[in-house]
Amino acid sequence: MEQTNASVTRTPLDSVAVKRKSKSRSYRQSYRSCLGVASRLGLTPARRLTTNRKAPESHNITVNPEHLALLVKNEWQLAYVTPLHQFRHTQLRSYARHLSAFVVAEKQQGLAVEVSGLQNGFKASMTVVQGMSEADDDPETVLIQIHSKPLFSRPDDPQKLVWSGWLTCINGNPEYLHSLPKDFTCLPLFVYKGAENLSSLVKSWVQRTFDCCFGPLELSQTSLQWLAALWTNCHAESNIQHLRMLWTLPSAPPLQVTYAVDPHDVWELWGSVRKGSWGDGAGEARWIDLEEVASFMQSLKSHFYRHFKLDLSAGILNQVSTALGSARFNGRIKISNSAYVITTLTLLTECALLKMPI
Amino acid sequence: MSLLKPFSKLPGLNTANILLVENQEQLQHMLADVLVKETPLTVTVRLAKSLPLPVDESRPRIDLVVFIINLTSELSFQSAEDSLKYLDPGYFLGKVCFMVTNARHASVPTERLDALRRLAASLHCPLLFAEDQTPEGVIGAAERLLTILKVSAGVVPMTTALYLSNLTRCTLPPDIDQPSFD
Repeated sequence: MEQTNASVTRTPLDSVAVKRKSKSRSYRQSYRSCLGVASRLGLTPARRLTTNRKAPESHNITVNPEHLALLVKNEWQLAYVTPLHQFRHTQLRSYARHLSAFVVAEKQQGLAVEVSGLQNGFKASMTVVQGMSEADDDPETVLIQIHSKPLFSRPDDPQKLVWSGWLTCINGNPEYLHSLPKDFTCLPLFVYKGAENLSSLVKSWVQRTFDCCFGPLELSQTSLQWLAALWTNCHAESNIQHLRMLWTLPSAPPLQVTYAVDPHDVWELWGSVRKGSWGDGAGEARWIDLEEVASFMQSLKSHFYRHFKLDLSAGILNQVSTALGSARFNGRIKISNSAYVITTLTLLTECALLKMPI
Repeated sequence: MSLLKPFSKLPGLNTANILLVENQEQLQHMLADVLVKETPLTVTVRLAKSLPLPVDESRPRIDLVVFIINLTSELSFQSAEDSLKYLDPGYFLGKVCFMVTNARHASVPTERLDALRRLAASLHCPLLFAEDQTPEGVIGAAERLLTILKVSAGVVPMTTALYLSNLTRCTLPPDIDQPSFD
């Protein structure tokens, strides 16, 4: 096994690997990519989330404000997508036409009578959202929307938005993005909202057209803790109003604990956890370590234990919510403040990349 | 300090004693029900929530100590780690085993499983993964434990626990130190 690893890291395609070795760490392949077929993929994304993360700043995003408003006011479901084969950002119109035809055809399957005209016609549109990608390597975000007329509407009523989804990649791991073969576009995070049957139709169309796979993206305990810490860190700039956490403890019957903390107290606690790095200049981006997040959560749990004699580490963290957004363990997320969209999506892109099977 | 010692008593004829340590006390009952049905070997199952055990002179010699850890709960992992110090070092020559449930649960961060793997690899102990939601899963887990228990109790000829532990001990995957996105 060691020999195979050593020989493959020297293959010519991994000439990029030579550059990376400047940090004197050696990258190894995943088990699956030890097979010859996938050896061109080279590198897997890491096995765990980043331990150092930049403290979030409010960005002035140069995104179409309509799209931003759409993103901010809804609660979204998360999924991960494997890289798309031969996806061209220039051909979005023809993709949208295909998608509309596909959705209409699937809806009409099984109906004996031809539906007249486009009475319930679905019209899909795909647009590129400019300005959301942070790094140079990220492919542009794509927004898919499906409009349709409600059932009992007059002929000249405008169509309503019934389903929308975003395919995005924000600050994706550059080595992974470089290691993909030429035809593949990596947009690992799929954020969608709408009726379940439409979601499955869109997913099956994308799977068929671009030869990729979808899967549910659940947020692990560490990701939820990171979100709690990152949102707390933003309290200096925009008031988070509360930090509410929902824990489930395994007892019979299961006990649900809602732990709500006042923003000033949690800000002081966060400050005392980070007292080491407070001396930085105001303009510098500060880094948050995983240990700081862990000790922040540990102090919250021990405070709870001191009052209620219940140890929260016996349970599972299900939901974290602040005024800036809320995230649930089963992959539902709501971003309420448009300024921190980029940071949250960066974290979610990493989770999606980790969960992807390739 | 009351260390549990492996060789302080004589073994019984055709008997094996196993100690199941679990903080949440769920899987150990189900495993115990399956383990005691074994014939012809007489298996005695003792259950504990954590170590150290209270002083008990009538306790027979324990052949295998199994730590059952539920990965979704951090407390379970912590308590198993804390219990390790109450075992005599003689146990770590093949008489300790880790059994993990819920390893594939989505809420488990990968760091926890990696930390557990490192712990098991540093102690040279086997790491077994069990599925505790179905009776077939529990029976499968019990069978695997029985294989190790029979060797630890000395019932299998030509093999000792130390020899077996060389084959079954947990090894770290080669990319466990792979750095994260940076």
